[in-house]
This record gives sequence, structure tokens and C-alpha cells, in this order.
Amino acid sequence: MSIFDGLKFRKVSSPIHNIDPRIKFIYVIIIFISAILFHQILPLAILFLMQLPFVFIAKVQKQWLRSLRGAAFIAGFIFVINIVTRLFYNGWPTTTLATLEMVEPALGMTMRFIVLVESFSVFFLTTSPDYLGLALEQSRAPYEFAFAFTTAVRFVPVLAEEAQTIMDAQKARGLELDKGNVLKRIRNYIPILIPLIVSAIRRSLELAEAMESRAWGAVKKRTNLYLLKLHKGDYALIGIIVLVLLVTIYVRLFVFESIPLLSTFF
Amino acid sequence: MSVISLSDLVYTYPGASKPSIDGVSLNIAKGEFVLITGPSGCGKTSLCRTFNGLIPRFYQGELKGQVFVAGQDIAGKQTFDVAKHVGLVFQNPENQLFALSVEKDVAFGLENLGMSREEMRKRVDWALNLVGIYDLRERSPHEVSGGQQQRVAIASVLAMQPEIIVLDEPTSFLDPLSAERIFEVIYKLNQEQGITVVLVEHRLDLTARYTNHLIVMDKGKICFEGNPREILCNEKVCQIGVGIPKATLLYKKLKTAGFDVNSQIPLSSAEFADQLLKVLNQ
Repeated sequence: MSIFDGLKFRKVSSPIHNIDPRIKFIYVIIIFISAILFHQILPLAILFLMQLPFVFIAKVQKQWLRSLRGAAFIAGFIFVINIVTRLFYNGWPTTTLATLEMVEPALGMTMRFIVLVESFSVFFLTTSPDYLGLALEQSRAPYEFAFAFTTAVRFVPVLAEEAQTIMDAQKARGLELDKGNVLKRIRNYIPILIPLIVSAIRRSLELAEAMESRAWGAVKKRTNLYLLKLHKGDYALIGIIVLVLLVTIYVRLFVFESIPLLSTFF
Repeated sequence: MSVISLSDLVYTYPGASKPSIDGVSLNIAKGEFVLITGPSGCGKTSLCRTFNGLIPRFYQGELKGQVFVAGQDIAGKQTFDVAKHVGLVFQNPENQLFALSVEKDVAFGLENLGMSREEMRKRVDWALNLVGIYDLRERSPHEVSGGQQQRVAIASVLAMQPEIIVLDEPTSFLDPLSAERIFEVIYKLNQEQGITVVLVEHRLDLTARYTNHLIVMDKGKICFEGNPREILCNEKVCQIGVGIPKATLLYKKLKTAGFDVNSQIPLSSAEFADQLLKVLNQ
């Protein structure tokens, strides 16, 4: 089932994949904040380019490009809306400089959005769900949440397979899924959904039984087979985070006004 | 000394009119390999769930009689307390694995018990090696075959080092070859580790040879209990709907036709083939 392919979980190892998800998350937040602090194209372009090494080291270029392509539509929308509002307020530009002054902020806004999408996509593309679950477990989140998260990830392919089986079975009995108007088509899926939900509930009961039989809830503070320990890569990223933070604060406070704009070159 | 002892057990599921377990008394000795069989709905699954207290705690309903596990009455105990003594392996391997890697799943019970990381590591590796899936430890449970999944389930119960392992039709989702491998693993655990095994199974062809304590259940009652060689020859057992091993059936047919190999009743094809060869070579 192709729709669920993206949800299938695979263990990948790369220097970026191996970084503690918590530190990676802080990094994303810092990039996020920096992107919001600036509206000029130059710093935003730097922020954009800064993510590229991560993408290449983790070897996720393909998926990364796909996620950017997905964001392209909204990015285009943001650009057009910005241009249109400016046209509305300032009227049609007469000189090249005026055009640049109109296009530049719009471009900046679009760039900012792309940086946000980019950094989040790098985070999710390079963090495997089991690692994320582990980070959840070890950052004092209640274990039930972490368990629910990893179990959900674990059962996505199982449920996808089951949905396929039920679809085949109902089709074999003459159910036509792709017939009728939109409303009818949605209604066609009811005979798929009901057995799927019933079996999921039954499955959850069996899971609960298996958990009980393996001493679920025996002690208040459970232990964990794995320990997230900080490695070289983690320290390197912490260094980068501190650097980005310092540079952002400095530039924002002292040289914000003198950041060159495209229009200053004319 | 018996590790599991039931006396006059009667259990009715909530909303059911007839009891699913109807007056069962049973003693299972330490180190035994017990095989429970019987037609579907005869109460074998319910019986398994009384061993660690899932019945009545998880299912509610009404339970009368006493269950003693490892010398203690489990009536007032939580399931997790009993789980240290009795490991339960279920029918569907898929629904008893919930982690994203095999070794994390095996560690699940130990994590729940709050065991230290070093001890846990040792036990996980030990359990994985014992069932022969050490190489799969970093795979996702979804990626491995059904037989391997069931081995993960056995390992995860084994890691908790229970005295008793109860397996409720562990091979009904597996092909005959994987099933045979699972039975070999279970038999090895019983022989080499001295773990008491209670196996619920329809496939007597593959399992009868491992036991000398067979229990046949029907309609919530124990109908026959004892040596499989005696029980499986009984006409009444066939009528209940028990899958008699083919070798035993053939032996009986040959005997009624006047051909007697003059040895004990065989439980597996290999055993009967040996007996026949001996007779034919004479």
C-alpha cells in the first residue's frame, strides 16, 4: 500500500540519525526563532544553507526535496499574497528600485516559511520513531505517552495490511469503492471502516492482556534497556546551537540595521 | 511438589449462562511437560488465563475454587506479581509484541520489574540465544516471520525467568515447519532449563511425543488425564474431537486387522516407522 509506505519505519544509521533527538529538537527551535527574528533575505538564506550539510550527511536528499516540493505550493501562495497586498497599498511600481522594494519583503517572508519547513523536515527525516520514543521516555514524560507513541508506530503497517485484506474481502463480495459521487464514495468506505475498527479494538484487548502478563505496572519507576548517552556528534551540535544563538543575538542587537538589502545595491 | 494446583475451579464469563470451566482440579509437578488438548471452546484457553490471574482480574466474571501457583494462593494477588512465576505466551504472535525492536520487546517485562540495565542486558541476550534469534535482535517485529515473532514472544516471557511457561496454542498462526521448530525450542527449555511447560495444542502429531502428562478437556471439564499412550488409544477420545496422531491411528487399524508390532503404542510417525522396520527386518 503506497500511501502507508512513508509511515513504515526503518532503522537508519548516520551521524545525524544518531544525534540525541532532544538536542536536535532544540536546534530546530533555535533555527525557528532565528528565522522569525530576521526578515532580510541574506540571514534567511544563510539559515537555509546551514541545513544543507545535515541533509547531505544524513543522505536524505530525496525525501527532503520531496518535502520541499510539498511546501512549494504554500510558499508560492505566501509570496503572491504579499505582493498583492503591497500592490494594493502602494500601487504599481514605476522604477526598478520600487519593484525591488516590493518584491524583497515578499521574498523574505517566503524564505522564512521555507526555512521553517526545511528545519522541521530535517528533524523528522533524520529521527527514527524508536529513538523519538526513547527520548520521550527519558525526558520525564509519563511512560504511557511514550508507550502509546511507539505502539502506534509499531501497528501502522499491521493495520494497513489489515485494511487491505478487508478491502479485498469486501470487493470480492461485490463492494464497489470507486463508484458514485464524492458523498457516495465516502459512504462506500463504511463497510471497510467498521470491521477495521472492531478488529483494532479486539487487538488492543489482546495487547493489554499480553502487557499484563509481562508485569505491566509492577513498579512505579520502570527502567530502560537503552540509555541515551551524549556522543561526540551531540556535543558538536550543542556547540553549533550555542554559536547560532550567540550570532543571532549579536546580529539582531547590534548590526540589524546594517544588514544589506537587495535594494541597497542599486 | 506441584507448581500449579487447582481445586474445584468453576468459572463463568460475565453474561454467560454456562460456566466455561466446570469443576476442574489439577496438579502440575515441577519440571513437567503438560499437554492440554480438546475441541475449540472446551475451556483450555480460559484455564490458561486462570494460571496468572488474568481470569478473573482482567475478564471479571465469577471464579470459585482455588488456584495455587508456586505454593501461594493467587486469589488476592495482582497479575504482575504472578507474572514473575508464570509466563504466558498467546496465540497471535503479532498482538503480543509492541516495541519497535526485537530486543526492546524481550526487555519489556524486565523494564516493568525495574531491573538494572546490566542485569537486563544479560537476561535479554540469554533469552534471545536460547530461542535462537540473537541475530534478529535489532530488527523490527513487523519485519520478521510469524515463527520468529512467536520465538520473540517466548523469549520475552523467558527473560523474566519464570518457573512455569504456559503456551496457549502458540502455533495456530504458523506453518507446520515453523510449528515444529517452536515445539523443539519449548522442549529444549523444558529439558535443559527445567522449566515447567504447559502447552495447549491441537497438533498432537507434533507434540504428543514430548509429554507423559496429557490432559483432554471437553465442555469445561477434564475428561482424560494421564499417559498419552493410554489415552490416545481410547475410542471415546476420538469422539470428543481430538486430533489423534496419524501413527497412533495406523497402529490401531493394523492391530484390529490382526497385525501387531508388539511394542508400545507409538505417538509419532518416526517412532512407529522404527517399530515397523524392526518387525519387517525380522
